[in-house]
Amino acid sequence: MTTLLTLNEVHTHIGQYHILQGVNFEAKEGQVTVLLGRNGAGKTTTLKTIMGLTPATKGEIAFRSHSIKKNPTYKVAKLGIGYVPENQGIFADLTVEENMKVAMRKEDSETLERQQYVLDLFPDLKKFWKKAGGHLSGGQKQMLSMARAFINDSQLILIDEPSKGLAPIVVEKVMEAIVEMKKKTSIVLVEQNFMMASRIGDTYTLIDDGRTVHAGDMQDLIHDEELKRKYLGIG
Amino acid sequence: MELLVNLIINGLATGMLIFLLAAGLTLIFGLMDVLNFAHGGLFVWGAYAGIFTYMFTESFIVGIIGAIVTGALLGLITEKFIITPVYGNHVQQILITLGLMLVLQELIKVFFGPNGVAVKTPSYLAGSWEIGDVIIIKYRLFIIVIGFVIFGIFQYMLKRTKIGLIVRAGVQDKEMAQALGIHIKRVFLYVFMVGAALAALSGMLMAPYSGVIYAEMGMEYAILGFIVVVIGGMGSFSGSLLAAILVGLAGSFMAYYVPVLSLAVNMILMAIVLIFRPQGLFAMRKERTS
Amino acid sequence: MNNKMSLRYVAFFLLLAIFIILPFANDSRTLLILLTQIFIFGILAMSYDILLGYTGIVSFGHAMFFGVGAYTTAVMLKQMDNTLLIFVLSIVIGMLLAGFISFLVGLLTLRLKSHFFAMLTLAFSGLFLVLAEKWRTVTYGNDGFTFRAPDIFRDRMTFYFFVLASLVIIFLALYRFVNSPTGRILIAVRENEQRTKSLGYNTLHYKVIASIVAGIVASFAGSLYAVSLRFVNTSVMAMDITLDALLMTIIGGVGTLVGPLLGAAVIEYAQHALSGLARDYPIFERWIIFFGILYILAVIFFPKGIIGTLRLLFWKWRGKLKQRKSQVALPQEKERFE
Repeated sequence: MTTLLTLNEVHTHIGQYHILQGVNFEAKEGQVTVLLGRNGAGKTTTLKTIMGLTPATKGEIAFRSHSIKKNPTYKVAKLGIGYVPENQGIFADLTVEENMKVAMRKEDSETLERQQYVLDLFPDLKKFWKKAGGHLSGGQKQMLSMARAFINDSQLILIDEPSKGLAPIVVEKVMEAIVEMKKKTSIVLVEQNFMMASRIGDTYTLIDDGRTVHAGDMQDLIHDEELKRKYLGIG
Repeated sequence: MELLVNLIINGLATGMLIFLLAAGLTLIFGLMDVLNFAHGGLFVWGAYAGIFTYMFTESFIVGIIGAIVTGALLGLITEKFIITPVYGNHVQQILITLGLMLVLQELIKVFFGPNGVAVKTPSYLAGSWEIGDVIIIKYRLFIIVIGFVIFGIFQYMLKRTKIGLIVRAGVQDKEMAQALGIHIKRVFLYVFMVGAALAALSGMLMAPYSGVIYAEMGMEYAILGFIVVVIGGMGSFSGSLLAAILVGLAGSFMAYYVPVLSLAVNMILMAIVLIFRPQGLFAMRKERTS
Repeated sequence: MNNKMSLRYVAFFLLLAIFIILPFANDSRTLLILLTQIFIFGILAMSYDILLGYTGIVSFGHAMFFGVGAYTTAVMLKQMDNTLLIFVLSIVIGMLLAGFISFLVGLLTLRLKSHFFAMLTLAFSGLFLVLAEKWRTVTYGNDGFTFRAPDIFRDRMTFYFFVLASLVIIFLALYRFVNSPTGRILIAVRENEQRTKSLGYNTLHYKVIASIVAGIVASFAGSLYAVSLRFVNTSVMAMDITLDALLMTIIGGVGTLVGPLLGAAVIEYAQHALSGLARDYPIFERWIIFFGILYILAVIFFPKGIIGTLRLLFWKWRGKLKQRKSQVALPQEKERFE
């Protein structure tokens, strides 16, 4: 299995605050890598740093063994990294169709095929095709955001807390979709809901106070009660 | 009846010119979060460059093109050298764009002399039509038509084209637009140039309308532009058209009935809007979930 | 710290002594007038610093307060009598008016984001300019009017000392103000308004206070300005006045009080010198361009101004000394985020 993304001792400052103080992790092709940690541990910032939205101040970030640390956000995206932010980042004034269209970098048959694929995955989007993004429900926004990240043959999709604020039944749907999408792309997932994370994650990276403190196979973590208690407050 | 029609036409014509000025301001603000206090400088440069081209070539159309090109070029320079270095810092932006305004205004005096320049309407647009007992001045109608045509073109571009889609997306969420692979800074530059070109066009069209151009006109009309942007809602393109018409009409009626209040009325309008609806009368929905 | 304090006192009294002796040592009328002008604009620039430097708000309407003071004094001296009493009374009334106006305008506009505020102050001051132009029975519009200064100020030297004394008093008063608890909160507003709000401070309240203080002091400067010229016209309400204050504050160093004074000296002297050059080289008639360019460059490359940059260098130098002694890292310059 090839390594898609590597973070090595990444530090990030936001203003005067030193948020990330040494994050390490790897995301392998065809896998779901879950970032775990308490609130405020730096998981969201890690994703933003990969995207170049809060650029790293130290360390190294490599995608397919090319450094992307200094790349502006749009270049990171063009390299094939999709991003589904915590607030879904739906353009409220644009319709579902326009939200998809603005994300498309090409409108060739492949892209349209992928569009068909995501619409089959999320039939709701088809139903509300002409509806303004701002009028969608939380779950629909989540689906639209994921569909949007997927539309450009992304090799890696970063998803930030997809279950946040959603009803359990919707969470289930989103999770199923992630499992389905995993067949076509790799995923880095930030998730507070450990039950969900443990079900779909292949590997995990534990972040605490802006540092990677542990990483390994999800199966091992599920059985490591002490680690769970120490860093996740569960178990 | 005649008076009413004339006041309305006057108001609409003025409104359209202010709209062209405010359209750039509002787009630039919406997309880049930059309030360009130098916008009036672009307006006045458009007027001078356009009119001098017009006088030199004796073609009004070439003059208009000259104004637009000048505006776009000044926009390019402004964005690259004035806006980019202070991007993200509001206080510095406000300070620096005002400084640029000053420089642009003074440069007009250096290049074209400190005194006003009288401007003639091209012969085919001069004069008026008489319909019954209503006299319609051709040039004013011309401005109104141009204004609506430009509004139509831009509205079409914003709603129906990919570029428009990208601009609208950028207005709503810059970060997300970038995360989808959009080179937002380049979009900024283009929008800034287009906004500057619109301001320049506005200045050029204003020249025969007011009959004289002078360096200080930039600041005077820029203030009207700001008022329109506030009333229409920052970042709202169609809002700025409606607000511009409102301001134009209010100005035209006031100038006739209560001339002392003609500037004050717009100020009062703005104050009321800011107190009761600070996001503007026709503001866009803007989602802020985080 | 003690060393630094006493150094400050020495510098303060030394400068004061120089300015007291100077008129006796050099009887150039031009120099006296120039210095008077510098002091008056120094007061105006300091008042602007309260807004821009200490509270972090950009007002484009400062000229209206300056103009209110200038017109109040000029009109009262002309229409009533040119006595010292009327002069003092006119200063007080001007300040009251300016305070009241800045209270109203502030209440209306300071809730808004910086862009809107700047824009509104621009519009309001435009309104005042129009008012000054249209209310011809009192202001004589753009032509303006001359009036007689109180007899005691016939002597330029007396007026010079009066202005110098005013400057010193206002400087000390503002110095106390910015170091008072209220002043500290203003700085907190500048650094992070949201956080100051969440600490439970009504930031609007403090911003209005800053605006009133700035308005009152600006009005005082306006009163002095009118008397120094013995003439007033609409130019006292014009944008140029605000721009001068802005430029002086930025060149000198925002948030330092001393900076704007230095800035006033630099700008007034430069204007004086450039208008002299203009006689030989017409391009200098457009000296505003040089200021505009200087100003743009200052905002980009020199945002801390003269005093701010000197201070930074001083701290760096001290930091190095300290570092050598105790190996303590220099605290990083804080970025200003909006």
